[in-house]
Amino acid sequence: MIRKDFREILSAELISVIGGLAAGLLLAFATNQIELIPGLLILLPGFLEMRGNISGSLSARLSSGLIVGAIKPEVANQRIVKGNVTASIILSVFLSLLLGVVAFFSIFLFFQIINYKIIFIALIAGVLSNLIEIPLTIITVFWLFSHGHDPNNIMGPYVTTTGDIISVVSLLVAMVVI
Amino acid sequence: MKFWKKAEKRKKPSRFRVIKEIEDIIKLKRHKHHPIIHQIHYTHKISRKTLFYMKEYGPKSHVSSVILKESVKILILASIISSIGGVNIQNIQSNLLTIIPLLILLPALNNLIGGFGAIVSSKFTVLLYLGKVGKWWKSKEVHELFVTIIVIAFISSIFLGILSYGFSLIRGFAFDAGIFFKVLSIAVFSTLILVIIIFFVSVITGYYVYKKQEDPSNFLIPIATSFSDLGSMALFSVLVALMF
Repeated sequence: MIRKDFREILSAELISVIGGLAAGLLLAFATNQIELIPGLLILLPGFLEMRGNISGSLSARLSSGLIVGAIKPEVANQRIVKGNVTASIILSVFLSLLLGVVAFFSIFLFFQIINYKIIFIALIAGVLSNLIEIPLTIITVFWLFSHGHDPNNIMGPYVTTTGDIISVVSLLVAMVVI
Repeated sequence: MKFWKKAEKRKKPSRFRVIKEIEDIIKLKRHKHHPIIHQIHYTHKISRKTLFYMKEYGPKSHVSSVILKESVKILILASIISSIGGVNIQNIQSNLLTIIPLLILLPALNNLIGGFGAIVSSKFTVLLYLGKVGKWWKSKEVHELFVTIIVIAFISSIFLGILSYGFSLIRGFAFDAGIFFKVLSIAVFSTLILVIIIFFVSVITGYYVYKKQEDPSNFLIPIATSFSDLGSMALFSVLVALMF
């Protein structure tokens, strides 16, 4: 039992570490841009956390729905799936805005810098990352379930890993756009 | 005799009664924990998960509103806590941007420690429910869980430290044995110190909540993950400030 636990926990942790390292490497290629935008590092932990929280909960709810038979594993017009997608989009737009506003006030309070751009960067990056992450999560959960896997066992590390990479890419794209 | 034992003794219900009782569940107000759920579970052998799902997302509930109402508060709290961690990181920006392995290490360290927070909380909750924890400090299972988690934390942190430096070489950062050992030490010490703290916070809080006859699952994971987010950023920035 201990050996099984050891193997499962270690493999899940190593997968999430590799996802984090890939996100870190992407950040390392954008040190100049990070330096130019004050407050980006305040935004970063919350932004990475948000992607995991929203998509992680979305995948857990869809998995439960599939297991109890309330959802069919197909991208059709299903009431529960539509409700989940709507809620995830609203949450991510709201939380992106909140993170941007908190970062704006934090840099003003602690570093006496006024940088409105940070709010728009958070918002654009939040919307952009969702356009990729939400469909990816739904398709993966359905695919795993229809191939006989329990999505609950796989989606945790998967969402963390893809979420980190997509979030950092979205942040970098938003920085370039702004 | 408890009501579900009485329910089990009854003769097999008609299809009409099953439908009628399920309709009763759908009509329930979402926030109410009504005993009818347990009754239907024992009488008709329908899993609690299915009944719970019917109550939460039945035809009369507005799915997106239910999700928004339930998750928005905890997500706001998590975002604010993470932003406080971000302020610590902003303070060491110059170190992070010049010593590239530290920048690469940062998101992975956050993931690693957050993962341990969730694992310890869920594992300890299961042990409590299985009745394997009498006094937690004497429990063999809790000791085994502690040793397993610490060994995995040590292996993962060494893996993390080495890979973050390896990845920085791709970015063009020159190899320096002194910086390498400092980065490795930050990865190992941050992980081990926080995992030990999170373990005891989870175990003590979980034990206390369980003794109060409440469900530790509702408290432990948010506490452990928020604690690990804030703690990993704060400890990381302190260690970086001390070592560089």
